[in-house]
Amino acid sequence: MFPPKPDLAVRIPPKTELLKMVVELTKHLATINSFEPSQAQKIALAVDEAITNVIKHSYEGQVDDPVAVEFYSSENGLKIRILFHGIPPHPTLNEVDLKQMIRDKRKGGLGVELMRRIMDTVEYSTRKGINCCEMIKWNRPQ
Amino acid sequence: MRTFSVKSKICDDVACLYLKGHLDAHHVDRFEKEMVKTLGNGLVKIIINGEQLSYISSAGMGIIMGYLDEVREKGGDIKLCELNNQVYEIFDLVGFTDIYEFLRNEAEAMERFKNVSAKA
Repeated sequence: MFPPKPDLAVRIPPKTELLKMVVELTKHLATINSFEPSQAQKIALAVDEAITNVIKHSYEGQVDDPVAVEFYSSENGLKIRILFHGIPPHPTLNEVDLKQMIRDKRKGGLGVELMRRIMDTVEYSTRKGINCCEMIKWNRPQ
Repeated sequence: MRTFSVKSKICDDVACLYLKGHLDAHHVDRFEKEMVKTLGNGLVKIIINGEQLSYISSAGMGIIMGYLDEVREKGGDIKLCELNNQVYEIFDLVGFTDIYEFLRNEAEAMERFKNVSAKA
């Protein structure tokens, strides 16, 4: 079980130059939560992808509202919630077809797939105008 | 602070792009610019050397994905080499290792291009 309140919450201006800072913070927190360094780096990548999507798609590079990132830790894993305004995301439920994306010369569309492959759960929701991306990674079998 | 850089070198008809540092959505334009410049020079045999690449997000992978079809249509390819295990695992997670050749080092990647040229 995760605690009702986050262990750490940060508010970040939606700027891509700050992505690396969030990646380093997430990596550090995941390591403290007993994840191996390689696993911690992947969890940090999932957070990078989620925030990049907010900046590019929900805020379309136009909105200055900060993105809130909340970290909840338990002895079994790490939960990360990313809260933001803007356009609600509608991530595709289908697995990506990489060969088709290459044929279509697409340069985007891998972010959510990476998040799903790295994390155990990835859920998007919108309530009262606030969008939430909630991701959980367990470090022990459930 | 600059946390990502890309340099290129041309050997015969093969372009080697050397990626260094942390490649995310903030730095991806620099990588794409170098890729576009390479293709603009008529080079379609491309080696991406990731010996000094510490991190890549989908933004950087998207550039490698987005130009592959054009490169292969023109008889070339994009090959990757010298990636550290963590970066390689990210490519592997989404299936790049089924579509691209990942070589241990640049010499092997060059050799693969030479073999293809010899057969053609």
